[in-house]
Amino acid sequence: SRLAEGTPRRSIQLSNIVEQRVFQDDEIISTPKRARSKKTTTAEEDKEYTPKKTPTRSRRLSTASAAAPATPTPLTPSQKLKKIRAGEISPTMEQRKTDTANPDKGRKSQLQLAREQLHVSVVPQSLPCREKEFDNIYNFLEGKIQDQCGGCMYVSGVPGTGKTATVSGVIRTLQGMTRQRKLPEFEFLEINGMRLTEPRQAYVQIYKQLTGKTVSWEQAHTLLEKRFTTPAPRRITTVLLVDELDILCNRRQDVVYNLLDWPTKSAARLVVITIANTMDLPERLLMGKVTSRLGLTRLTFQPYTHKQLQEIVSARLGLAGSEAFKGEAVQLVARKVAAVSGDARRALDICRRATEIAKDCVTMLHVQQALAEMIASAKVQAIKNCSRLEQIFLQAVAAEVTRTGVEETTFMGVYQQLETIAAIMGVSTLPPPGRALRLCSKLGAERLLISEPSRHDLYQKILLNVSTDDIHYALRVEQPMTTT
Amino acid sequence: VQVEEEVKRNKYQNARRVLNSAETQNLPGREQQLQELRDFFTSHLEKQSSGSLYVSGQPGTGKTACLSLLLRDTELSKRLQRVYINCTSIASVGAVYKKLCTELHLKPTGRTERDHLEAIQRHLRTAKRMLLLVLDEIDQLSTARQAVLYTIFEWPALPGARILLVGIANSLDLTDRTLTRLNARCELKPRLMHFPPYTKQQIVDIFKSRLAEADLLDVFPPVTLQLLAAKVSAISGDVRRALDIGRRVVEIAEQQKRDGEKEFNMKALNLDAEQQQQTEDILKPVQVTQVAAVLNKVYGASQNLEEDIEAAFPLQQKLMLCSLVLMLRNERNKDISMGRLHEVYRRVCSKRNILALDQAEFAGTVDLVETRGIIRIMRKKEPRLHKVLLQWDEGEVHAALSDKQLIASILNDTACLGK
Repeated sequence: SRLAEGTPRRSIQLSNIVEQRVFQDDEIISTPKRARSKKTTTAEEDKEYTPKKTPTRSRRLSTASAAAPATPTPLTPSQKLKKIRAGEISPTMEQRKTDTANPDKGRKSQLQLAREQLHVSVVPQSLPCREKEFDNIYNFLEGKIQDQCGGCMYVSGVPGTGKTATVSGVIRTLQGMTRQRKLPEFEFLEINGMRLTEPRQAYVQIYKQLTGKTVSWEQAHTLLEKRFTTPAPRRITTVLLVDELDILCNRRQDVVYNLLDWPTKSAARLVVITIANTMDLPERLLMGKVTSRLGLTRLTFQPYTHKQLQEIVSARLGLAGSEAFKGEAVQLVARKVAAVSGDARRALDICRRATEIAKDCVTMLHVQQALAEMIASAKVQAIKNCSRLEQIFLQAVAAEVTRTGVEETTFMGVYQQLETIAAIMGVSTLPPPGRALRLCSKLGAERLLISEPSRHDLYQKILLNVSTDDIHYALRVEQPMTTT
Repeated sequence: VQVEEEVKRNKYQNARRVLNSAETQNLPGREQQLQELRDFFTSHLEKQSSGSLYVSGQPGTGKTACLSLLLRDTELSKRLQRVYINCTSIASVGAVYKKLCTELHLKPTGRTERDHLEAIQRHLRTAKRMLLLVLDEIDQLSTARQAVLYTIFEWPALPGARILLVGIANSLDLTDRTLTRLNARCELKPRLMHFPPYTKQQIVDIFKSRLAEADLLDVFPPVTLQLLAAKVSAISGDVRRALDIGRRVVEIAEQQKRDGEKEFNMKALNLDAEQQQQTEDILKPVQVTQVAAVLNKVYGASQNLEEDIEAAFPLQQKLMLCSLVLMLRNERNKDISMGRLHEVYRRVCSKRNILALDQAEFAGTVDLVETRGIIRIMRKKEPRLHKVLLQWDEGEVHAALSDKQLIASILNDTACLGK
């Protein structure tokens, strides 16, 4: 009978169940069911309480030592799935067998240390150059938690300007304040639009972070609605961080509407912070009623200037960095990145690449090499490395464009140009159109051209995907070398 | 756990809490609409006849607030059964019957949509009490065939049914536009009721009643309230926005006061505690300048390029924008593709001895500028063929750009167009 009852009725998507988290190695795989109660002792037990942790996990850790199963019997697949969905098994990653991670610091050179510090994933304790934004979000959240009412905030800015890092830094500080009893307790949930296969999966994730159970989205939505619309005497404030808001917008916009409508209920005590890239997303994409609920509390993260980028990199390097990294090298990276996008991730990546190139100390030359690699334009190189006939073909396309004045050319016109150029150059054996079509489709696959499928043969349209200057530059610079 | 700071909340914090945009008990400015709704309900209750009503209005004009106030009314609750359904919370359009079944505690015979519908209709024919069904955000139920909406609006005409149906939505003419067939039969046609946007005086009254509840009227002097209400009522008449701005003003005033205190404390560290206590209690009402500053920030449009262009606008993005303006200014063909823009941009860069980005990088840069709302990109099959459209007023961008030296020189450099 056990087999009969264990058959799952609906197919369950594993992608929705398995969360992407890094787990500690001392976690116990299966634990007994625990009562839903929030004890303050658990929060005190682990001092390095990180906001990413779900409340269930910390509770699970505390109860794990009490009852570990004596003889773990193998589970049937459906039993296992049931346990996963109930949140009784936490996903673990396989550990490395051989201990290759050597902890001794003595062996690591300054450069290696700098490289580790420069990794994008190493978020510093306090973000440099974002103090104003930090204060802004902190005041908003602190006010909402103290007032015990709900609200929304919209944070926007181009990628890599420290939006998510600042918000989670604020949350960390506030959690520290609660532990010191200077602030009422609050719960923190976070979802990311990009991690959901579908907007409605947001309900599943939110519910999972509240209780640890995985249920279908309909059920999760009903339960969340019940939670947020019915008043409960000892409800604590919930802070919900919604990253990548624009992904959650579909045609009906029901998910965004619900996420922003719950804070307006006085019973919910929900504070929603939404993050997206576009500054005018509410006006551009959202419906009027959703925009009205989103409110006017907004904050824009401006791109980093070169001074700020320089400060960020030097703060990462710390004292050790001064030996491994030349000051002017950092400045060059900062200036180059700030001119294009002001993305801190990019600056850090280029610095890391420079440390990989350098042997002992990163100088301007190394940085220049890294910049050339990462802000590279490979097109000229690609044209230079084309075969002779391909180069003539590209020239023919460019010539046809200048002749007709229209960007779009047909293969026929290009082939005529090809014949002319070949005659001038004295290429004796011009390929027949069939062969030329093959050249064309090869160039199309390399994306030097934009071409239609070859079945249109003579009438297929060809567009240049590189500028005509690039072609002339690549071929003219090379020609003296071939002649000599 | 009682937190210590709970005790000494200042007036700013209280004002901030009072101005929240959650549900409230009294609705100043909506007396007339409330009376009309009440009359509609009572007249139908007395006649024991069905009726339908369609309530429309801009977001934030208090439609849901009025109806949820009436749904909580004890007098009405004795005489009719009340159901409130928000149509955004249902899984699909057809699932509204299922939701209604659970709200009415009905037992349908099967699990299909049709079974649920039959159960509801059976209930409507035999119900002892009158039913008040409020469907919020009813525009979510509209589909191509409108089968669900028609079925619901036909319930009042069902023989023996005693149902009061209220649909809430934003659009003024949803019933005329999407439910044209209802016009054919007068008994089916819902009565229309419009919630006009709040006027200036109404917004002032709302603020006054909110603040008077907690005895905080002195935080907002009348002048500031007038200014705030005049601006909001002129733009949208949405009370959520008004409350939002009011809250924002208080937050900023509090922030400024806190900063001021810090300075004060630094100056007078040796003052005794008693005196400090006194200074804290002095409450400054919010200034007109503070309200004006918030209003300008919120409604001052996104066109603050002037300061952007100086400070935090990456150079390559500036060059891109300048090239775009140059092309728009001098070419008759305003149809600018990414490829054409890139060619001009490269010439501009090479003339200024600046290393130009290649096409792939350039596409990313254009995307970043798009997030500011300055331009919009119409996607095509190939990145090179994407269309770039300037979204801001051209004249204003010109004015903002031509001030700066580098930019002015680019805008006059028609040779870069390559004609």
